[in-house]
Amino acid sequence: MNKRIKNIVTVVLLAAFLFGFGAWAALKPADSLSLSERRKLKQLPAVRMDAVLSGKFMSDFEGYALDQFPLRDEWRTLKALNRLYVYRQKDNNGVYIRDGYAAKLEYPMNEGSIDHAAERFRYLYENFMADADARVYLSVIPDKNYFLAEANGYPAIDYEAFVEALREQTDFAQYIDLFGQLTPDDYYRTDSHWRQERLPAVAAYLAHEMGVTLTGEYTEQVLGRPYYGVYYGYAALPMQPDELRYLTSETLAGCTVYNYETGKPGAVYDMEKGAGNDPYELFLSGSISLLSIENPNVETDRELIVFRDSFGSSLAPLLAEGYAKITLADIRYLPSSQMGKLLDFTDADVLFLYSVPVLNNSDTLK
Amino acid sequence: MLFSSIPFLFYFLPCVFVLYFLVPMRWKNTVLLLASLFFYAWGEPKFIVFMLASIVQGYVLARLVEKHRADRGRAKLFLTLSLVFSLGLLGYCKYTDFFLSGFNALTGLSIPLLHVALPIGISFYTFQILSYVVDVYRGDVKAQRSFIDLAAYVAMFPQLIAGPIVRYSDIASQLEHRTHTLADIAAGARRFVLGLGKKVLLANVFYELITTFKASGDRSVLFYWLYAAACVLNIYFDFSGYSDMAIGLGRIFGFRYLENFDYPYISASITEFWRRWHMSLGSWFRDYVYIPLGGNRVSKTKWLRNIFVVWLLTGLWHGAAWNFVLWGLFFAVFLTAEKLWYGRALAKTRVFKHIYVLLLVVVSFVLFDANSVGEAAATIGGLFGAAGVSSVNPISLYYLRSFAVVFLIGIVGATPLPKRAVERLGSTKAGAAVLDILEPLVLVSMLAVSTGYLVDGSFNPFLYFRF
Repeated sequence: MNKRIKNIVTVVLLAAFLFGFGAWAALKPADSLSLSERRKLKQLPAVRMDAVLSGKFMSDFEGYALDQFPLRDEWRTLKALNRLYVYRQKDNNGVYIRDGYAAKLEYPMNEGSIDHAAERFRYLYENFMADADARVYLSVIPDKNYFLAEANGYPAIDYEAFVEALREQTDFAQYIDLFGQLTPDDYYRTDSHWRQERLPAVAAYLAHEMGVTLTGEYTEQVLGRPYYGVYYGYAALPMQPDELRYLTSETLAGCTVYNYETGKPGAVYDMEKGAGNDPYELFLSGSISLLSIENPNVETDRELIVFRDSFGSSLAPLLAEGYAKITLADIRYLPSSQMGKLLDFTDADVLFLYSVPVLNNSDTLK
Repeated sequence: MLFSSIPFLFYFLPCVFVLYFLVPMRWKNTVLLLASLFFYAWGEPKFIVFMLASIVQGYVLARLVEKHRADRGRAKLFLTLSLVFSLGLLGYCKYTDFFLSGFNALTGLSIPLLHVALPIGISFYTFQILSYVVDVYRGDVKAQRSFIDLAAYVAMFPQLIAGPIVRYSDIASQLEHRTHTLADIAAGARRFVLGLGKKVLLANVFYELITTFKASGDRSVLFYWLYAAACVLNIYFDFSGYSDMAIGLGRIFGFRYLENFDYPYISASITEFWRRWHMSLGSWFRDYVYIPLGGNRVSKTKWLRNIFVVWLLTGLWHGAAWNFVLWGLFFAVFLTAEKLWYGRALAKTRVFKHIYVLLLVVVSFVLFDANSVGEAAATIGGLFGAAGVSSVNPISLYYLRSFAVVFLIGIVGATPLPKRAVERLGSTKAGAAVLDILEPLVLVSMLAVSTGYLVDGSFNPFLYFRF
């Protein structure tokens, strides 16, 4: 190839890339949402003089251009592949894949965050439970790093020290250790959460420790769409989707769910949410600050109050068999100070059920 | 607008290329000027007034300087007016709060700071205008008759906001007469893509490690060194990558900009380092400050004064903060020491001279990157075990493993080895044939992977924008 031909090839290839993708980006209709990233995509901003002069139009346009670039997911995958297989970097956007599981780095242990969580729990205990004859329990849900990180050379927090730090400050609660009850198979491969269909034994163990016996006969149902978990979007790597299964039973069919946010009854499994951006929200409609599950068919008037994060949504229905009423409160969305007005702790079982990532980043707990 | 951004690469650049190459030669500078004003206004809509005012005063006062060249007093007056305007604007925007806080600290007063916003690229375009007016005063160049041509020179988007500092004298003739050849366009495109790759695929990746270090409370001596090495490589690939993109774009538009970097990390002395690092700034200070002060053709005391003045100003040019002042003076000390005491002895060593340069460069860029002198001192202390932390911890080992290949690519890429390898391969017939096929493919691949990084929204501000 002589120099002239090489120059022509160089210029034509580079120009075709810039002009081709430029024209495609300018002409393609805007997408409304990214399924892999579970978010709405930015739309072309309106040209307004005040927005132009303040620079807002430009920054909005830059966001739009990034979000709407043709083959967005494929470009993100190309970057992830370069990072993992050319640069041999160990994670992409903080997410790594080992043994087929995607996990997000959770390091280091944030002692201030544990202190804050413990302080919130103690506040709730001292103000609303101490004089109410409530039986208080605490349980920590390990994230996937517990099983994968250290064994594969990733930085891992000292989980023993983590739990110990929390327990030292929550001596009012009986600790129920779930670490030995779980394996990596109990989690989705592409998501942070645990799989409900794997949890009946965990639920039975928890209930047993709280003095309740569960027998747990369930039928497994499959959501008829692939489940791309939150880490699928972060990692941007080719991964097979998970299958989202949920458990039904006569007991659960007889339960009524009440959503305090909307003031309306709901269902244990919200099929509308299951068809939305995040199918995990199928379980008790996702992020609801306060809801209850009432089981009219149980021969006890025992009640359970669970202070929880999103892991609680898939577990709580499996405890319904042993309680007349389970109330789930999320103090990321409702201030702890309001709980006295909203909940009756008298003679109730109270379970603080939180995952390691939330406890290690607990500034959202109010 | 950032060069390494989707709007620039896929919206702005294709439009400018089409317009530029469609219009006849006499309109090309107008297209460049309008494109440059749009480019600047995209990031700083309000501050375009500052730049236009600077260009207008440079144009008018240089014409007046030339008109009254026979009358030395008047010419000097117009030159002084231009210098006062340029330096006054730069001083007001960049240094007011720095000097006010220094004055407050010295006197115990509490004069409120003005919090003046710094227009992007003001240090670069101010220095270009200064050199133009001074060169006209000296009679080295003729004053530009065409306002469009002068404005296009000052505002030209390839080098507007992060250099290199292009002297008017270097491109005066090209503003009026330049050719556009396929070879130049191909060479420019090649250089641009290489620069983009340096920025997006290396500098930004090192920056990620820097931000991780700064956010981490879990440090070790190893982590301090990883941070320092990432700083050194980040700053080099960031700035030299931008210069490559600027030089490449300039060449596509028919301009030949001078080189700005020449593998500075292979230097055998600090003196050599500054002949290879940000060459356009170093030569600017040499020609417009150091030599007018007398250079080295004065007494030793004055010569020392000249060196320290130049390096004080070099530090201040980089930023209105004490760590930049110290950064400049740090180099002044070692440049002086090399000239006065150990320069010759150092040159005789084989390995030590490189270790010496790299060690000083590491320390200097930690100082450069710090938010305060105190932070710099703590970090430099950490490098040498004074932070009271362990030598190694799990997180630093993790990042060492995770960034090992990137460091290897960065270290090799900062030397002339890849260039020499390509030249060597190209010197044989078979090797040249392979290169002919590989080169365009590698360039397109680099552009594609860079696009992937940009679409993923990785962090990528150019460090030199703040200057």
